Amino acid sequence: MGFDVNIRVTGGAGQGVHTAGGLLSRLAVAAGHHFHATQDYMSRIRGGRNAYSVRVREVPVRAGREAADILLALDAAHVPHFLPSVSPTGFVLCDPPAAVPGTADRRVIAAPLRELAVAAGSPILGNMVGTGIVARALGIPAETVDRVLALEFKGDFLEKNRKAARLGAEWAEGRVPEAYRLPEAAFHPRMILSGNEALALGAVAGGCKFAAGYPMTPGSSILLGLSVDGPPLGLVFEQAEDEIAALNMAIGASYAGARAMVATSGGGFALMAEALSLAGMLETPVVAALAMRPGPATGMPTRTGQEDLAFALSAGHGEFPRLVLSPGSVEEAYALAHHAMEMSEAYQVPCILLTDQYLADTVVDADPGDFPALPVNRRIVRGNDVPRDARGRYLRYALTGDGVSPMAVPGEPGITVVVDSDEHTEDGHLTEDHAVRIAMVEKRTRKGEALAMQTLPPLLAGPPDGEVLLIGFGSTKGVIAEAREILSAEGVAAAAVHLRQVAPFPARTVSEILDRYRTAFTVENNRTGQLARLIRAETGREVAGAIGRFDGLPFTPGEVSERVKERL
Amino acid sequence: MSGIFDTDAENAWCPGCGNVSILNAVKKALERTGKPRHEIVLVSGIGQAAKLPHRVDVNVFNGLHGRALPAALAIRMANPSLTVVVTSGDGDIYGEGGNHFVHNIRRNPDIAVFVHDNQVYGLTKGQPSPTSDPGWAGSLQRSGVIAGPFPPLAAAIALGCGFVARGLAADVEFTADLMVRAIAHKGFALVDILQPCVTFNKKNTYEWYGKMVYKLPADHDTADRMRAFERALEWGERIPIGVLYRREDRPCFEELHPCVGDPPLHARETPAEAVRDLLRKRLFTLP
Repeated sequence: MGFDVNIRVTGGAGQGVHTAGGLLSRLAVAAGHHFHATQDYMSRIRGGRNAYSVRVREVPVRAGREAADILLALDAAHVPHFLPSVSPTGFVLCDPPAAVPGTADRRVIAAPLRELAVAAGSPILGNMVGTGIVARALGIPAETVDRVLALEFKGDFLEKNRKAARLGAEWAEGRVPEAYRLPEAAFHPRMILSGNEALALGAVAGGCKFAAGYPMTPGSSILLGLSVDGPPLGLVFEQAEDEIAALNMAIGASYAGARAMVATSGGGFALMAEALSLAGMLETPVVAALAMRPGPATGMPTRTGQEDLAFALSAGHGEFPRLVLSPGSVEEAYALAHHAMEMSEAYQVPCILLTDQYLADTVVDADPGDFPALPVNRRIVRGNDVPRDARGRYLRYALTGDGVSPMAVPGEPGITVVVDSDEHTEDGHLTEDHAVRIAMVEKRTRKGEALAMQTLPPLLAGPPDGEVLLIGFGSTKGVIAEAREILSAEGVAAAAVHLRQVAPFPARTVSEILDRYRTAFTVENNRTGQLARLIRAETGREVAGAIGRFDGLPFTPGEVSERVKERL
Repeated sequence: MSGIFDTDAENAWCPGCGNVSILNAVKKALERTGKPRHEIVLVSGIGQAAKLPHRVDVNVFNGLHGRALPAALAIRMANPSLTVVVTSGDGDIYGEGGNHFVHNIRRNPDIAVFVHDNQVYGLTKGQPSPTSDPGWAGSLQRSGVIAGPFPPLAAAIALGCGFVARGLAADVEFTADLMVRAIAHKGFALVDILQPCVTFNKKNTYEWYGKMVYKLPADHDTADRMRAFERALEWGERIPIGVLYRREDRPCFEELHPCVGDPPLHARETPAEAVRDLLRKRLFTLP
């Protein structure tokens, strides 16, 4: 297994949990190692009980771990809550636990976080004192800490932070266990980004030029990424008055020729459902990122879930083809956002990028080679390529073999572009002619069939046949992959399938894979086994069951492997 | 009559419907702008009024009920060289799309909005609309409308709309003139058009409007916001038509938005080098 340390920084909102977690992640990379960071935060601005977990290994990490080896509790009152998740050989750092019950545990080390913070210049620097102590426990040289801090802070504040970290490291000398010192490793430049940041970058790299949205956790950070990273490449961003406006705006921009997208969570996506259907009818390309959180209704706004799979597959009234992609990693969030932009335009269908709070807030270091600048293939037709009728009118919905009608945009001299949410004729005008209706339904259906020919196959890891197959979609990819490794190491012939596209569903490939294993389970963050039902509907095959989790927290590899073994 | 924007689309409106007059006014107004058809986009929602764009030979975006404004805004943002005109009903713009009406006046995009205000839902056969007079009994509200009427012109003036006018379907020339001025206005321009519904609204008829409306006098100061507001609240015995309020000092949304402009979005490229520059910002290197 090699080196594997899990650091958990906890505290109230406003105590610098995120800053400390982010710095420890960067320190690990600076020391030549790799990390996977996840956040578990409450829906509030101040106080509460937040956790930022950073798992550090010698190899790229793609899943978190339940047990913490080092717990840095910026609020000592949280220690009783987090102590059960500290490994038996781990340790806890917190201010002298005067009257906090449960902190008499031998793993708890009273560290003068506040006292040293004040000595460094401000009581708010407790997180930096703690960072210095943990950096010392990891064996990261003070000079590296100074360099990484310089990337985050400037001027007087930088010096105060450096002093706080230094005081922490000096205090830690001889007081913290030596068991978690990182092995020597060479530094390589790495991409550091979250799932949502990668998704927004992928969309921008995919030529997205218009984005609109209404803030909703955990989709908001996609909007933030688009609004910051988009403008240098000519993207126009607008905060909409509601999600209904957001998607109707994106469709309007798409009609005018812009690659366009929106981002939201389940509640906002529900408001977009009618416009999604509009995109299906107008055949305007558009991408909607749906970052799932537990529902129903407001549910748990800052926690994770995969409850909207069935919703994403069926949202919008009427029948129309759609593409639903489900990235499983930060790298895939980038690649599939680009793919969504390309495919949505190529087949003139709405595309849903299905992610969730876990992947949205997961931060990793990644290989820069996994973030290429891929070509953007625009499909807008002009001049003689515009299909016209005998009178020279543009046929926006020209009946074609594959159902995809060449798309021109308004402003093209000599033609007008007519689109209508009613059923329409080839020239876009509304009709109630039943024969035309049939022709248009068949045209949209052919488009869906052509889209299905381009379905991204699922990714299989492990032996080509064997005892058990684990199937997941979206954010569970890394967790299932590691669970599979654990099972294999324990002698269970296990394979894992990751679905990065769920509509059109890769039915034939999944059927063929399912047939090669004695038993199969889906692993999904919901109660009712939506993926298991989808597999049954699409392949006629029954999995042995769904391993579900619906408490609002992500799976961990150890949990999945244990639950698989219980059912074998 | 034959004009450059005529089409051979079938008339689906009732004989005597105010939409026919509004259609004629729209075509006259568009002709007077002198713009070629490929640079004009008519945007509508759903309803009898919203079918109007199908009968004008220009670009057409006939979207969802209530959602004409978000689409129109985005079309302008994507390509500010297009002349964008929204033409739809009172239920569409003030009811289902009320939130977009409020916030797009706040934004102030360069869009002319023509509301066919017949105070009734025609396509769904006779339900009261947001502008129906209290007490008027329509389908679904048989004992009479309880809610007070939505005052579109007063609301627009209160929200800072820079061009607020009322037309009369029966007076095509007068209404076409208001439309020309609305299209020329740089910013959100509202023309609420009093439109009799000969089938479902037996109260607000041609005769009724004929008795109630008066043209704003030549000395009406369109720059006087408070006076305009007072005029906007007049309803019943006397209903003013014409330009109530005008303000030209407010820049339009497209001018203020840092990324809207030339080239239009469909012509903007995604150079690989710019993508690489963006990605490099996320590359963690030690100083």
